Amino acid sequence: MEGSKEPAAVSAWGLKKSYGPTVALEDVSLTVNPGEIHALLGENGAGKSTLVKIFSGILPPDSGEMTLLGGHYRPGSIMAARAAGVSTAFQELSVLPNLSVAQNLLLPRAEKGLFGLNSRKATEERARALLEKFGLGQLDPRQIVAELALSDKQRLEIVRALSRDPKFLILDEPTAALTDVDWVFGLIRGVAARGSSVLYISHRLSEVRELCGHATILRNGRSIASVNLAGADNAEIFKMMVGRGSRERRRTVQKAKPAAKVALKVAGLKSKTLRDVGFELREGEILGVAALEGQGQQGLFRILGGVERPDDGHISVDDRVRHFKDPHDAQTRGSGMAFVPEERKADGIFPGMQVTSNITISILDRLSRAGCLPFARERRVALAVAEKVELGRRYLGYRINELSGGNQQKTILARVLATGAKTLVLYDPTRGVDVGTKQTIYAAIRDFAAKGGSVLLYSSELPELVEIADRCLVIYGGRVFDELAGEEIDERSLVAGVTGNRRRHRTPVRQETPTGAEASA
Amino acid sequence: MTAITARSTAMRAQTWWRPLSDGAVVITIIYLLLFAIYAMNEPSALSIFSITSLINNSTPLALAAAGATLVIVCRGFDLSVAGVVSVTNVVMAVQPLEGPWGALGSLFACLAIGGFIGLINGYLVAYLRLQSIASTLGVMIVCQGVALVILDAPGGWVAEWVSYELTDVLFGVLPVSGLILLGVVGLWLIFLRSDLAVAIYAIGADETSAALSGIVTRRVRLLAYVGAGLLYACAGYMLSAQTATGNPTAGTPFIILTFAAVAIGGTSFSGGSGGVIGSIIGAATLMLLQKVLFSTGVSSFYTGLFQGVILILAILFRGAVVALAARRSAA
Repeated sequence: MEGSKEPAAVSAWGLKKSYGPTVALEDVSLTVNPGEIHALLGENGAGKSTLVKIFSGILPPDSGEMTLLGGHYRPGSIMAARAAGVSTAFQELSVLPNLSVAQNLLLPRAEKGLFGLNSRKATEERARALLEKFGLGQLDPRQIVAELALSDKQRLEIVRALSRDPKFLILDEPTAALTDVDWVFGLIRGVAARGSSVLYISHRLSEVRELCGHATILRNGRSIASVNLAGADNAEIFKMMVGRGSRERRRTVQKAKPAAKVALKVAGLKSKTLRDVGFELREGEILGVAALEGQGQQGLFRILGGVERPDDGHISVDDRVRHFKDPHDAQTRGSGMAFVPEERKADGIFPGMQVTSNITISILDRLSRAGCLPFARERRVALAVAEKVELGRRYLGYRINELSGGNQQKTILARVLATGAKTLVLYDPTRGVDVGTKQTIYAAIRDFAAKGGSVLLYSSELPELVEIADRCLVIYGGRVFDELAGEEIDERSLVAGVTGNRRRHRTPVRQETPTGAEASA
Repeated sequence: MTAITARSTAMRAQTWWRPLSDGAVVITIIYLLLFAIYAMNEPSALSIFSITSLINNSTPLALAAAGATLVIVCRGFDLSVAGVVSVTNVVMAVQPLEGPWGALGSLFACLAIGGFIGLINGYLVAYLRLQSIASTLGVMIVCQGVALVILDAPGGWVAEWVSYELTDVLFGVLPVSGLILLGVVGLWLIFLRSDLAVAIYAIGADETSAALSGIVTRRVRLLAYVGAGLLYACAGYMLSAQTATGNPTAGTPFIILTFAAVAIGGTSFSGGSGGVIGSIIGAATLMLLQKVLFSTGVSSFYTGLFQGVILILAILFRGAVVALAARRSAA
């Protein structure tokens, strides 16, 4: 590569970016040649979106260099990046719902008419010409974007980025809402054919292979390698995304006895984000859930916690169908389900209140005598559960916001244990806690399961699922995409599953789950 | 009807009730109904004198609500309206400038005050990223303090030219304050055809997306607050013309009524929709309600009660139409 005569269209080296103590990019280098469609691959949190923001002029890097077409590149704003020829279609779709298609296309400056005022007619004509140029003539420029289908909003986002005639085009998950990708692939190839460079980000490896020659792989904020996709198979790529250092195999699996009673059964669950989810959770079992962000797992956990309601489907606890009106309902119906939500700071803790109160808040009605709360009794109960999660006795009198993140998380776990629920529904319970605390939390979860409790656990960290889950569901696109049990659970299979790629089954997919049949389709 | 909401309703105007999802249309209907009740009970309601007095009464609140609309459309909040009205009112009463040129000078002085206070609001909210309710509350309290320093008790005289001419009737049929309101509406319609207006609506709907679309959100927010301050100043100016005297607490009633007028007029407090015209009619409705109650012999103590009920009904009605529209389009 060093020997190529042609200067790289885009290159970056040594990019670093941190948000306070959190390091998003540690050391990223990247080269895209003129006319190349280059892929950017990485797990959640690898630093992809931070890199996109830096290229697009939204964030300045803390250090590192970038060049564009041979010149120094350091945009101070989005408009500066655009002026330099960098244009981005963002993953989170930046079209505005209350404006028309035409207004959106020409933001921030509409076509002018008489007296320098915006001319709706000229704006709409220009928009129509752009839409037709990019094969989207069926969209009405006058239509309000809120009335468009999600896929059309995505197309509009892409056309908007293309319409600026970019020298460097960045597409962040451009096909997430599209079922037919030929249109967008044709456009991307057209851009590359004109000599512009494209950075293509997608978790769909098959698409990446179809479109791109080379890929840069990010892991934990570092660019691990730049690979020729033709010469690397999926397993190698997943391995690079996950990292060699990860434990390949771990612990002895405590297989739930198949005879164990089904504690929680979910069938045909549908909601805004869930298309069809079904599974069984047995007593004494730790069932992991693996998924990339936004595949519907949030909705699933919120439904089970009683925070959201499903559109369709059944939830049975102890063989009885339940409808949860609110979290209190979920906790008290049958043998009880306790939910640990995603956002610890926003939904989990009561800042300013003592740790003891934070633990007992879910069971106050049980602790109270004649409407009053006997403090000695409250403290006794809190102490007992705090011991289970190894939360030091001295912390009980502190305000919870004075505790470290790890101890806050232990407190929340203590709270759900205190409810006496037989089923725990834990959403990323170790997010942002240190390694030692993680082990404590794992131990508490295992102990809970060993005593016959059931645990449903989502984790954004796949190694965690490898370490703790007896069985693991992979959720993709609002469905149970795959299911792994015991020794099958390893990171590579999980990465393949969460990115929507089939692993090769040595054994036929188990037929007992309703979605199992779909896996062969 | 604002151009933006008008277009969105035009796009799906297949059924007769679709326009009812536009707040300005709803409040216009409510206004006309109330006016009919008023005219039935008060035979003189249709006289030039009575209409002029109705418009004169409504103008200050209408201008204040127009200003607040700019900020609310871009999902902000601005309590400083009471402060600006009070300060401009006492300045008008303490420093009366006679004659038409004096009136023009006073107007520019008021606009300078309002623009400056808007600039402070905008700087605090857009650049220092303070909470808009808290920081504009602070600015309002400071302004009320300043008003008291300038004039510590009700008194003073507003220049005669201002208090006579601006509340008068031209050619025997055109109330001057009505022309001023029409002028504001005209400016608003021109303003809607600017990139700044589009940016204000964009930020109100989704600030992050607006920024990603290339809009410099800080500057737009700042300008929205400045525009609001200028309109509050006009409100203080017209209030002075009407009362012909100064009062350091003149702006206090505006705090609640301004936001009520904006809400009645169909501008959503969650930003990105609505417009100035609805707010002006909303303000006029609140003032008309007082006349209606008086004409029907209801004690004026009931005014607040009815204003609140109208506010809630207007919001409920529009919500019901929007829900109906959503169900129809889903089906």
